[in-house]
Amino acid sequence: MDEDEAQKQRLKAAVHYTVGRLCQDIAADCEKQITKQTIAAIAETAFRQCDIFAKDLEAFASEKHCTLSIPSQYNYIQQKSEELALNNQELKEKRKKNAAKRKSKDMEAEEENELED
Amino acid sequence: MANAGNEVAFKKETVSKLLTRSFKEDKTKVSSDAVILVAELLKVFVEEATRRAVKQADSEDCDTIDIEHFEKILPQLLLDF
Repeated sequence: MDEDEAQKQRLKAAVHYTVGRLCQDIAADCEKQITKQTIAAIAETAFRQCDIFAKDLEAFASEKHCTLSIPSQYNYIQQKSEELALNNQELKEKRKKNAAKRKSKDMEAEEENELED
Repeated sequence: MANAGNEVAFKKETVSKLLTRSFKEDKTKVSSDAVILVAELLKVFVEEATRRAVKQADSEDCDTIDIEHFEKILPQLLLDF
């Protein structure tokens, strides 16, 4: 555990160094001073953020079989949506025809009724 | 002086070790390109944090960026990233 802890401290120190330089550059650019405490806080936050990035990346990578095929999935979805669009159109036309048939049937029935009368 | 920020960057080795430490699985590896991108991402994160703190200090008419300024912008920063 000590070796692990020692490595963690070394990494934190490395991050702190780079963060410090970045912060100083930006502060100077904006003609401001930045306190050491602030730099330390930013460094600590960056260190923790890196942990979050790593875990997110790992989770993403384990879904690799999905993400790798995004272009083909996209094509598949496009194809399916085209089929669906066609389907919908056909259904619409069917409904129109049925509605038209019903109308003409109703009219015929009316006519018949009138005739009977 | 505005270009000075372009020279400072996180070392590949540091970023690589940081990432590997955090992986749950031992067999997870990081490609060289991914390391470079994460390094860039971290750099952007730090720059964004600093610049937002600067803006906060500005809005309070302060010449020094104090930790309170950073604390005030931290929640939104974490949500944005």
